[in-house]
Amino acid sequence: MKKILEVKDLKVTFNKWHQKIEAVRGLSFDLYEGETLGIVGESGSGKSSAIKALVKLHPESITQMSGQVYYGKSELIGSTDKEMQKIRGREIGMIFQDPMTSLNPTTPIGAQIIEGYRRHFPHISSKEARAYAIQMLHRVGFSQPEEWISAYPHTLSGGMRQRVMIALALAPKPKLLLADEPTTALDVTLQAQILILLKEIQQDMHTTILLITHDLSVVAATCDRVLVMYGGKIVESGPVHELFASPRHPYTQRLLQSIPRLSQTKEEPIIPIEGSPPDLSLPLKGCAFCDRCPSAMQICAREEPPLFEEKVHCWLYSPRRL
Amino acid sequence: MKKPLIQVQHLYKTFNQGVQAVSDLSFDIYPGETLGLVGESGCGKSTTGRTLLRLEKATSGQVLFEGSSIFSLNEKEFQPFRKKMQIIFQDPYASLNPRMTIGEILSEPFTIHQLARGDQKKRGVKQLLDLVGLPLAYVDRFPHELSGGQRQRVGIARALAVSPQFIVCDEPLSALDVSIQAQIVNLLKQLQIELNLSYLFIAHDLAMVKYLSHRVAVMYLGHIVEIGTSDLLYKNPKHPYTQALLSAIPLPDPVTERSRKPIILKGELPSALNPPKGCPLVTRCPFSMPICAQVKPTMKEVAPAQFAACHLEPG
Repeated sequence: MKKILEVKDLKVTFNKWHQKIEAVRGLSFDLYEGETLGIVGESGSGKSSAIKALVKLHPESITQMSGQVYYGKSELIGSTDKEMQKIRGREIGMIFQDPMTSLNPTTPIGAQIIEGYRRHFPHISSKEARAYAIQMLHRVGFSQPEEWISAYPHTLSGGMRQRVMIALALAPKPKLLLADEPTTALDVTLQAQILILLKEIQQDMHTTILLITHDLSVVAATCDRVLVMYGGKIVESGPVHELFASPRHPYTQRLLQSIPRLSQTKEEPIIPIEGSPPDLSLPLKGCAFCDRCPSAMQICAREEPPLFEEKVHCWLYSPRRL
Repeated sequence: MKKPLIQVQHLYKTFNQGVQAVSDLSFDIYPGETLGLVGESGCGKSTTGRTLLRLEKATSGQVLFEGSSIFSLNEKEFQPFRKKMQIIFQDPYASLNPRMTIGEILSEPFTIHQLARGDQKKRGVKQLLDLVGLPLAYVDRFPHELSGGQRQRVGIARALAVSPQFIVCDEPLSALDVSIQAQIVNLLKQLQIELNLSYLFIAHDLAMVKYLSHRVAVMYLGHIVEIGTSDLLYKNPKHPYTQALLSAIPLPDPVTERSRKPIILKGELPSALNPPKGCPLVTRCPFSMPICAQVKPTMKEVAPAQFAACHLEPG
């Protein structure tokens, strides 16, 4: 399989007041063509900061970034704004969590799709672009797209707006789609529809998807592989079936135990993870999960765990006795 | 059979411009029981909770607390009932005053209801912190110094200050991380047993509602379409809307998740300004019949202790 994206030791630090927040503390992964890779983590795990850093959406004045992101032959972190503008949208599309604040409230949805499309394909006539926008709206499930094309975002329901976002992102036919919590603002019934839609379109257009979510069920439904992030780092990665069947890292194990299943009876307790995630404005020593980990050993507080068995950052899997 | 603590009878709430948020709701909540209220956003779950606490004025209908009607009382007469009925809000960031310390926030209910003063009040605050599992040192902290889960604990402690019998939990987990949600759920469960509390638990996480609730009511477009004991209702939903809603629950397991076939209802949610005349689901129901557009279905017992408002023959 061909690599479409290669991320090496990505670090993102924000300046906030007089503090430095180390949101992403060294992230490396590869993304292969046609796959859906999930990044799962709680708020503050650095998943959103990382995905935004890939396309350099963080304001430069308060952000320091290091590491490399290779997209084909180009390295994105060192790219200029001008170079990034050719990549964003055209090569790498994006869908965000909240479709209401991501759409322009003063422009009809059709015009927004056309604008984005013609930005990358200026030679297309406006008539052709309009026909294409109608086609895209139809593709994402609008039954009478000709009537909807001049509708404003506020007249649409949440689910319809998220469909427009998907049409908008996919109109320039990007090779890679970054989806940041695409269904979090939606009800379960709509979530199910949007996830099915994303899958169909991925198959039609051979898009690669990098999906960010806090919801393990969304990962279970859509992803081929998954990275689990905690405290700005990957703690575990693997194919989705393997990770759910036999989670290795204590954080992943505990996370899976802390959500109720439909088959769960009231007598079977759900087991919470006590404590709260680490404060990333303070220097972290050792494993970020150490304070909350039931299996923590002395070494966990001292030294950061390297990668063991090619998938898990945890001292429990060290081949030598500790 | 125990007597119900809360009886809701034909409750209606219409907002200005004729938005029918809640139509003809009737249900009971028993002492020590959790009734889960589920449905999609905009179906009227939160309005139901707020209206039955008199935080919104009901358009018509009755709410009885231990048999006495609370809507006919004036503010002064209602004051003693306010102590017995409390609410926990969704957003632990927005529901605490940022300028008050946790100690001040928790002593306010004692002052308002004239329950304690001086040292007695301080002892009360300490007991509350202890009850919800927060360190005593937090009395001098401000809300911004606490995490989301800790703030939600403060919200719960504040509701418990006046020793209520009934608490409306309005999406208390939605703003919290997965690993923290379980902490709060377990706390709510433990408090229910210790203090014999009744909850109206409003949430959109259907697996969590099933886990926490004894009975569940399903709302659609301001109506309760089905109500029953949570295990039976989830196992054997009778109303077409309940069936669609439950089939859409995502599962944290890639094997079953990928074989799942959600029932997708056609079309969009109708406007609450102009709801359908007959059954609220008629425009989207896969089984709709001519009668559904004409006559609003009434609640029928479709299985033991399970009721659905649908014209289809049960079975």
